[in-house]
Amino acid sequence: MTLAEMNFFQRMLYILERYSGSLLRGAATTMAIAIICTALGCVIGFAVGLVQTIEPKKKDGLFKRGLLKVVKAILTAYVEVFRGTPMMLQAAFIYYGASSLFNINLGMWTAAIIIVSINTGAYMAETVRGGILSVDPGQKEGARAIGLSQSQSMMLVILPQALRNVMPQIGNNLIINIKDTCVLSIIGTVELFFTFRSISGALYTYFEAATITMIIYFILTFACSRILRWVESKMDGPSNFDLATTDMLAFTSGLTKYDEKKGGTH
Amino acid sequence: MEEILKIEHLVKDFGNNKVLKDIDFSVNKGDVISIIGSSGSGKSTLLRCINMLEDATGGSILYHGKDILKGEVNEDAYRTRVGMVFQSFNLFNNYTVLDNCILGQTHALKRNKTEAKAKAMQYLTKVGMDQYINAKPRQLSGGQKQRVAIARALSMDPEVLLFDEPTSALDPEMVGEVLDVMSNLARTGMTMLVVTHEMAFARDISSRVMFMSDGKIEEEGSPKEIFYNPKSERTKEFLSRFTNG
Ligand SMILES: Nc1ncnc2c1ncn2[C@@H]1O[C@H](COP(=O)(O)OP(=O)(O)OP(=O)(O)O)[C@@H](O)[C@H]1O
Ligand SMILES: [Mg+2]
Repeated sequence: MTLAEMNFFQRMLYILERYSGSLLRGAATTMAIAIICTALGCVIGFAVGLVQTIEPKKKDGLFKRGLLKVVKAILTAYVEVFRGTPMMLQAAFIYYGASSLFNINLGMWTAAIIIVSINTGAYMAETVRGGILSVDPGQKEGARAIGLSQSQSMMLVILPQALRNVMPQIGNNLIINIKDTCVLSIIGTVELFFTFRSISGALYTYFEAATITMIIYFILTFACSRILRWVESKMDGPSNFDLATTDMLAFTSGLTKYDEKKGGTH
Repeated sequence: MEEILKIEHLVKDFGNNKVLKDIDFSVNKGDVISIIGSSGSGKSTLLRCINMLEDATGGSILYHGKDILKGEVNEDAYRTRVGMVFQSFNLFNNYTVLDNCILGQTHALKRNKTEAKAKAMQYLTKVGMDQYINAKPRQLSGGQKQRVAIARALSMDPEVLLFDEPTSALDPEMVGEVLDVMSNLARTGMTMLVVTHEMAFARDISSRVMFMSDGKIEEEGSPKEIFYNPKSERTKEFLSRFTNG
C-alpha cells in the first residue's frame, strides 16, 4: 500500500513507525532547551530584577549612585530590546552576527541556549522585580530588626517569597519556551518543529505530521504545567499542621524538656 | 544603674514635616517605659529611629556611650541587641514558627542549630506557643502571631525590646494573651520600651511613662505621676479621653 492509498489513521501510524525516533529526539531537544533556558533565564531575571529594586541609600556617595543609575539604565535597555523584538530575528542577529562580525562560530546548541535564555531573562526580570516589590515591606523590616543584614534578609526572607510569587510566571515561561524553541529552526537547531518540517517535507503528509507534532507539544506543555502546580503546592507546605506532642518536642528541642504538667499554654 | 540607651536632641524630619523635635531621654537596665500619645505624635517614628529602620535627621543615640548614628556600632550587631516587635507582627511567612525563632540566631548570631533550637523552644514555651512550632504564620491567629514575634525577638537574647503598639492590630479577645506575656517579661526584668494605647498596661506594669505630643516628650514620670497627677494640660486632655471614653 502506498502513502496515497492510506487513510488518515494509517498515515499517522506510518509516520509514527518510521519517525518515532526522530520525533522523540526532537521532543527531547525541545525539552532540554526549554528547561535549561528557563532555568538560566530565571537566574538572569533574578539578578536583573534584584538590581532594579535596589534603592540608593542616603549614605552612598555620588560615584555609587551614578554607577547604580548607569547599570540600571543598561539593564532597562536590555529588557526593553529583548522583549520588544521577535526572538526569531534575535536568533539570526546573534548567530550570524557572531560569525560575520567577530568570526565566532557559535555552535547551534550554544547559540540556541544563549538566545532563549537572554530572551527569557528579559521577561523574567520584570516579573521578578514585581515579585520582590509585592513582598510585604514588613517582612524586610522584621528581618532587619532582629539583626539580619541586607543580603541575609534578601536571600533568606524576601527572595524565597518573591520566588513563590513568580512561580506561575516561571511555569508560563517554560511553556512558552517549549513552543517558542520552534523559531530556532531558523538557525538549524533540530528540535521538535524542525523534525515536523523534515517529516512533512519528506512525505508530503502535512496534516498528519502536524497532528502528531501538536499532540506531542501538548503532552509536553500539559505535563509541565501539572508538574509546576505540584511544585507550587509543595512550596506552600501542608495546609494544616500537627500540634507538637510531648515526644516531638523532646525530639525537636534537643536540650529542653517538655513539662507535661504545664501543658501547651504558659 | 546601668544606662543602655541615651537619646540626645533627636530630630527627625520627613521632608519639611518635623516629626521628632529634640527628644531627650535614657533607658536604663530593667526599665519598662510606656510611651503614650495621640496618633501622629511621632511614637512609631521614635522607635524606628532607635532601631535604625529610619535614619534620624539629627541628634545622637548612644548605645553604651557609643553613637549609633555616627556608625560607632555595627548596625546589624546593634539590632541583635535592641529587638523590635511590630504592630503587624512581621513574622517570616516562608518559615515555620520554630524556624522564625531560629533564623536570626543562626545567621546573625552564628549560634549552632542545636543551641538555637533549644533557645527558640525555651521562649516559645514561655509565650505558650511551643505546641505550634510546625505551623506557618498564616495558620495562626493574631494573638498567636504576636506571641511568636515576641519569642522570636527574645530568642536573640536582646538587652532591650522595643514594642510598637503590639496589641493594636488584635481582636479584643486576643489583647489579653499578649499583654500577659509582656507583663511577665516586665516582671522578669526585661528592659522594654513600649508604645501603647493600653492605658492599664502603662499604668500598672511600666516603671516610667512618657507622654508624647507633637514630636516632643510633653511629660515624663512614674505611672502615678502621669495618671493621677499630670502637670501638663495636654497630658490631662489626652488622658481624659480614656477615662471618659
Ligand atoms: N515614611 C514617612 N514619610 C513621611 N511622613 C511620615 C513617614 N512616617 C511617618 N510620617 C509622619 O510622621 C508623623 C508621625 O508618625 P508616627 O507614625 O510616628 O506617629 P504615631 O505617634 O506612631 O501615630 P499612631 O499612634 O497613629 O501610630 C505623622 O505625621 C506621619 O504622617
Ligand atoms: Mg505608630
